Amino acid sequence: MNQTAPLSSPDVRYGFVAQALHWLTLLLLIGSFSLGWWMTELQRSPLQVQLFAYHKWIGVTIFGLVALRLLWRLCVPPPPLPAAMPLWQRRIAAATHGALYALLFAVPLSGWLMSSAKGFQTVYFKVLPIPDLIGKNRELAKLLEDVHETLTTLMLVLVALHALAALKHQFVDRDDVLLRMLPRLRRS
Amino acid sequence: MKPVTLNAWLGIALLAAAAQPALAASRTLIAKDSEIAFSVKQMGVPVSGTFKRFEASIDLDSAQPTASRAELTVDIASLDTGDDDADAVALDKPWLDKLGFPKATFKSSAVRALGPDRYEATGQLAIRGKSREITVPFETQDEKDGSTWVRGSFTIKRVDYGIGGGEWNQGDLVAPDVPVKFKLKLAPVR
Repeated sequence: MNQTAPLSSPDVRYGFVAQALHWLTLLLLIGSFSLGWWMTELQRSPLQVQLFAYHKWIGVTIFGLVALRLLWRLCVPPPPLPAAMPLWQRRIAAATHGALYALLFAVPLSGWLMSSAKGFQTVYFKVLPIPDLIGKNRELAKLLEDVHETLTTLMLVLVALHALAALKHQFVDRDDVLLRMLPRLRRS
Repeated sequence: MKPVTLNAWLGIALLAAAAQPALAASRTLIAKDSEIAFSVKQMGVPVSGTFKRFEASIDLDSAQPTASRAELTVDIASLDTGDDDADAVALDKPWLDKLGFPKATFKSSAVRALGPDRYEATGQLAIRGKSREITVPFETQDEKDGSTWVRGSFTIKRVDYGIGGGEWNQGDLVAPDVPVKFKLKLAPVR
């Protein structure tokens, strides 16, 4: 507990796998969110059908990646937080991370269910059909659409909070929290 | 050996008289139990739908299958995929063009038996003003109440009927084959 390791020590940063999964998730989130925004503005068209497919494939990928990340986190615990960090901040950080993980599962799940309710199965990369848990149902589809949107908005808020907190650590607290998720660029 | 009595002969004759027209009689479609469904793959995703309104005139003759005949008329505008946007595209001009071609029809020209309760109908399927000969295998199943299920499936090629042209034909976005499934319930012979 509360051990203070110098930044150069190997266990002060997340490992390569954890970092790669973190940044890949962000990249896919940006892609998926942009596609989601774009495709829902479009009229029904070939382009829209394609964008929906890509959006859904990315969603499935994110779901899988997050499962991997959690497994990885169990095997390789994250590096410790700075000793000076107050308990309330640790609690908020833990709660935010927990909520982000939950939403990274819940948003794709709600999207998959909504898609089933609308009568459009999810077929991963055109070849792997993901079974429909629920049948076609107009009212349920509308409800799940609201759920998917609300959860996405909530996730967006938390991602922003997460990023702002990281920037605050870097530029206000001037501790090494942000650097934990960055590859080693310099020797200190 | 006891000679066959007149009564028995009469009985057989009556049975035959009763059975003969019954087998060849035109059967009324029970619309609420019947269904015509299709499925179109877009980006590998099967999008299914049904036609809610159709009429059928079917003579089913299990004793003499070749005497059977079927005529179906489907109201194109009754298409329902469960998604309003998808319905609108499917009914629009490049697809089924409900205004230009409000009805799709099938008229059998020949029916042959494939086995017990299994048949094959050949006939003309007309969609979007284009007519093609198709072969439709189907099965029949008699219910206790005298009604009969007729179930079958076949696959059409969109291009044969000019369904879905223009921008929708780019690449392999929409699969060229459209599987169609039907189950028709025919009322008991009256």
